[in-house]
Amino acid sequence: MKKLLSVLNIAALLAILLLLYNPLARIGLLPSLPALFRGGTAHIEETPVIIQQVKNIAQMFTQTYYDEYVYDTGVVRTPVFSQNKRLIFIAKGEVIAGFDLSELNEKSIIRREKSIVVKLPPARILDVVINPSGFETFIEEGEITFEESKKFHEDARRIFERNARDKGILKNSAEQGRETLEKFFRLLGFETVDIIIPESR
Amino acid sequence: MNHDARKKPARTQRLLVLGAVILALLAVNVAVPRRRERPQLSARTLKDLAELATVEYSVTKIVSYKDVAWYGDRKILFETAATVKAGIDLNELTDHDIQLQDGKAVTVTLPRPKILLFNMKPEHMREIFNESGILRSDFSNEEKDGLLSQGEKDIRAKVARMDILERAARNARILVESWLKKMGFATVRVAFKGGRT
Repeated sequence: MKKLLSVLNIAALLAILLLLYNPLARIGLLPSLPALFRGGTAHIEETPVIIQQVKNIAQMFTQTYYDEYVYDTGVVRTPVFSQNKRLIFIAKGEVIAGFDLSELNEKSIIRREKSIVVKLPPARILDVVINPSGFETFIEEGEITFEESKKFHEDARRIFERNARDKGILKNSAEQGRETLEKFFRLLGFETVDIIIPESR
Repeated sequence: MNHDARKKPARTQRLLVLGAVILALLAVNVAVPRRRERPQLSARTLKDLAELATVEYSVTKIVSYKDVAWYGDRKILFETAATVKAGIDLNELTDHDIQLQDGKAVTVTLPRPKILLFNMKPEHMREIFNESGILRSDFSNEEKDGLLSQGEKDIRAKVARMDILERAARNARILVESWLKKMGFATVRVAFKGGRT
C-alpha cells in the first residue's frame, strides 16, 4: 500500500509538470512536446541536381496572376480508433499566361512595305506555379500521408488556375501580347501594325 | 504502529491535494487556446509581363534527410523534379536597342537572359522512403514541406550555375534573327546588353 501511494505521488507530480508545461507551449513560450522529440533544425543531405531534358522553347509570358489561398480539407473521417484528419494550409503562387510562339509559321507574318500583319495563336495558361516554399501548413490533425497531401496541393493548383481564368487572365494576356508586339514592331520601323489574336477558350 | 496509522491519512490527503491540482491544471489546459496567428492574405493581382522564354530545363534531385538521435532515428527520402525556364525580359528593350539601317538591315541589342520561371509540380514528387523509430514522432506534413523547400532552394542554386543562361541567349538570338528575316530584313545582327553572351 505504502509503495503504491509513493508511485501514485510520483505519477501525480509528473502529470502536474506535464500539465504546467503544455499551456506554456501552447502560448508559444516553450517548444511543443512533439517538437522536443523531433530534434533541431533539419538540413537535407547534399545530392546532385541531374538534367533530364533541355528543350528549346519560344513562349511569350504576357500576364501573371499572383494568388494566396487558404485550403481547408475539412474533417476527413477515418475508421474507429484512428484520429480524424484535417489539413489547412496556405498556398502562395502564380499563374502565367501568354503565347506559344513556336506555333508561328511562314503564313503567320505578312509584310507589305511599312505595314505588317502578325497572326498569333490564342493566349493560354502556360504554367501554374506553387513551389514547396509556397505551401505553409496552418493546422495539421491526424496522419496525413504524402500522397494525400500531394492531392490537396494539386487541387490548390487547379483552384489557382480557375481563379486566374475568372479574373480574366487570358483576355488581359492577349491585350498585353498585342501591346508588346505592337511596340516592338513600331521600334522596327513599321507604321501600320495589325496583330490578330483568336479568342481563347 | 500508531505512527504509521497517522502517516497513512497524511499520504492520502497529499494524494487528494495533488489530484485536485491536476484537475485544476487540466481545466487550464483545456481553456488555454493553441497559439495560432491568422494567416495574412494579400489581394489577388494580375500583372503585365513581356518575357520571352527560350529554353526549358527539366531536372531531378533526390531529397534525403536523416535525423539521428540517441532515442531513435528518422529517415526520409523524396524524388523531386523541377522545370526551369530562362529567357529575356522584353520590357527592358528601349528605342536605343533597335537600330535600323536603310530598312533592310537591323541591329537589335537584347537584354541579358535570366531565369524567368521555376516550377516544382507536386505530381512529379514521390516519397520513396519514410521511417521513424518508436520513440520518434512521424514526419509531419509541415516538416516534409520544409525539407522539400530546402530541396527547391538547392535546385535553384545549382541550376543557376549550369549553362542555362548561355543556352537561353543562344536560342533568343536564333529566334529573333529568324523572325526578323521572316519580316523581310536581309541583314540581322543580334547582340546582348553588356557584351558577349
